Amino acid sequence: MFISKIPITIFTISFLAVIWISWVTFNPNQEKPGLVRFVSINELNYVKADERVKLGGLVKTGSINISPNNQLECIFSLQQGEHNVDVLFSGIRPDMFKDEAEVIIEGKYIGGKFSADQLQTKCASRYEGDLKDQSPYKYKNI
Amino acid sequence: MIPILGSITLSTALGLCLISSFLLLIGLRYKEPKYFISAHRTINLISILNIFSTFLLLNELIGSNFDVKYVAHYTSIETPLIFKITALWAGQSGSLLFWLFILSIYTLVVFYKEEKVIATYFQWVLLVLTLVQSFFLILLNFIENPFEPINVGFIVNNGNGLNPLLQNLTMAIHPPTLYLGYIGFTVPFAFAIAALITKQLDSIIWIKKIRLWTLTAWLFQSGGIILGGWWAYQELGWGGYWAWDPVENASFMPWLTATAFLHSIYIQEKKGLLKLWNIILILTTFILVIFGTFLTRSGVMSSVHSFAVSDLGPAFLIFIFIIFIACFYLIWLRLPIFKSQKKIKSISSRESGILLNNVIFVVICFSVFWGTIFPVLSEAVRGSKITVGPPFYNQVNIPIGLILLFFTGAGPLLVWGHTSKKAFFNNFRMPIIVMIFFFLLCFIKEIRGAAMVSFSLAGFSVAAITKEFWRGIISRKSQYNESMLRAFFSLISKNRNRYGGHIVHLGIIIMFVGFTGHAFDSEIEFSLKNRESIDFNGYRFELASLSPEERPNHFAWIAEIIVTKTDKTFITTLYPEKRVYFHRHPNPDKRQPHSELDIYSTIRKDIYSIFSGIDGENQTAFFKIMINPLVRLVWYGGYILIIGTLIILLPNKEKLWI
Repeated sequence: MFISKIPITIFTISFLAVIWISWVTFNPNQEKPGLVRFVSINELNYVKADERVKLGGLVKTGSINISPNNQLECIFSLQQGEHNVDVLFSGIRPDMFKDEAEVIIEGKYIGGKFSADQLQTKCASRYEGDLKDQSPYKYKNI
Repeated sequence: MIPILGSITLSTALGLCLISSFLLLIGLRYKEPKYFISAHRTINLISILNIFSTFLLLNELIGSNFDVKYVAHYTSIETPLIFKITALWAGQSGSLLFWLFILSIYTLVVFYKEEKVIATYFQWVLLVLTLVQSFFLILLNFIENPFEPINVGFIVNNGNGLNPLLQNLTMAIHPPTLYLGYIGFTVPFAFAIAALITKQLDSIIWIKKIRLWTLTAWLFQSGGIILGGWWAYQELGWGGYWAWDPVENASFMPWLTATAFLHSIYIQEKKGLLKLWNIILILTTFILVIFGTFLTRSGVMSSVHSFAVSDLGPAFLIFIFIIFIACFYLIWLRLPIFKSQKKIKSISSRESGILLNNVIFVVICFSVFWGTIFPVLSEAVRGSKITVGPPFYNQVNIPIGLILLFFTGAGPLLVWGHTSKKAFFNNFRMPIIVMIFFFLLCFIKEIRGAAMVSFSLAGFSVAAITKEFWRGIISRKSQYNESMLRAFFSLISKNRNRYGGHIVHLGIIIMFVGFTGHAFDSEIEFSLKNRESIDFNGYRFELASLSPEERPNHFAWIAEIIVTKTDKTFITTLYPEKRVYFHRHPNPDKRQPHSELDIYSTIRKDIYSIFSGIDGENQTAFFKIMINPLVRLVWYGGYILIIGTLIILLPNKEKLWI
């Protein structure tokens, strides 16, 4: 009686799973979206006010300003070639955050400023340093 | 001299791989044992050469021979000995050599374990293992040579040193363990290909062997994943143990398909069913292993685990393509022998329960695969990169994981063949009562949503496993007049597959409870000056002191934080540190800050402290405190899982020869 039901059950489960995964992909949770668009500074003007996006670039030299009232708050300028955007970040800054650090920020673009709640610096977990840069390590010509 | 010897060893091993493969093929073609004997000797020699070249590189790392580029990149004179050894797998070429080293050990173990076998089948197993070794030797000889010398005209007096994040004892164990699992899946893959070619899929001995080898690799893979989570939690300072990072996913996907295989091969052993499904699962597992290695090494995905961008990507893609085509062709060729007269007779049978759980594993694997490749797909199709983060994986997998949790308990309650209504009622009654109890308890404690369902289902599944043990103990007690304790141990030792499996399931359930604790995590970021305090989540955190200390390979600021309840009951003192590695480096950009956290851990919750930074001018320190409930259960569940697997793997007295 059940012989034919098993393939149907498996097919149904697989079908429902695909529907479920597709639904989550195209209708993400608005509070904590799992899928976030990576955009350039140029594209920021076309981003909806409530859309969370990611942005990558370099921290402009001399642009880091830490609030004297709350040391966890800072403003800096993110640079992508010729383009800049002011970023407001509140929270603990990563160890490698400094002038000219390569960073990825996530948040919303509101009123000409990027309000970020996530800030990551380029990960150095794989240490692929260039030996030529290590001149102080008594690297010399022979 | 030694680097040259290393390069010669690697190229000799590659040449011998080609010779041994040729000898095996000739032997198989003409059925001449003399070719097999020559090939076997060559295969042994290849493995020995590979192991030898690994020790040569280790020798260079320990001896700080900075004439070798790899040594100069990943060690320095100051690097402690243990981390000079672990630097073997810190970089691209060294870790590829380490891959080969482990594969060579596996090949030797397979060879000597099956030494007496002069069957065609075994020659195919050896041929597949040799071909996989050849691939890695090609990479090491032509793309990433670990013995590459430093550029001519320069002397490096000291190397870069090892990344501070990798200077952790867990990192000395986690990668080798994961590699043992990852690479271990090559062996069941070789057994599967050999069985497909020689049509041995029905052999019960083949089933037992492939199951044993898969379980061995699975044990290491599980241990490696758990250790990785432990390392991330202890070292990375973000308070979690799993980030759904592409490379973490790459280790998780083959684990999922291998787990599905270990369940469904049991049905093939018991009932002769699901032969095609099992072959697809084990072949997919190996393809996912190579896919994961491609992800880590090609630079196609950015990840905390990935190596620098290299030329390895196309080589791996070609290898994956060849394996895929070969597997597809072999399956297509053998389709007639997969046809079975036997069918699953009832949807309420244990075999259908296992099959449904298999489907769930595959669905989870698919969702992880989808999320992992989605950024690449979106960029290719829409031109804009869409990143996929933990909320996606959690949203997709939490409901599916809960169904899996239900089946973990329900599976053993179902009967082989068909579960009658009476048996159904008898078996499910007590676990359902326990589930309702936990549901009500959650309701009273105001726990809602997925956490409520998870705790209730965990109660159901633990009750189901307890019932299984209880039934067995009572039966032994009455049959053999044993004490409860003796009956418990006899039960396990006489039925290691079954009860070892239950112990593994128990470990998984406990881990699930630990995962559920994540729903109640809380955190705060704040700054404090000496003697200032802050209240959070019922605790008071007071900064008692800040002291500097210079150590051999770093400088540290040590914070002393006294943790009390808000009613002033003393809890603990935490000592998180802010370290600067390479602190004597004249170039400040080369100094590397690192937060060494401190955790107060109990079974109920962890108090996780991170010393994020210090403002020397204002004498202000920045901290992040996280309260993470039930994390310990994740590690306890992991220990139980390992113990259960070891129980199953304990050698039998019977010997199996094909």
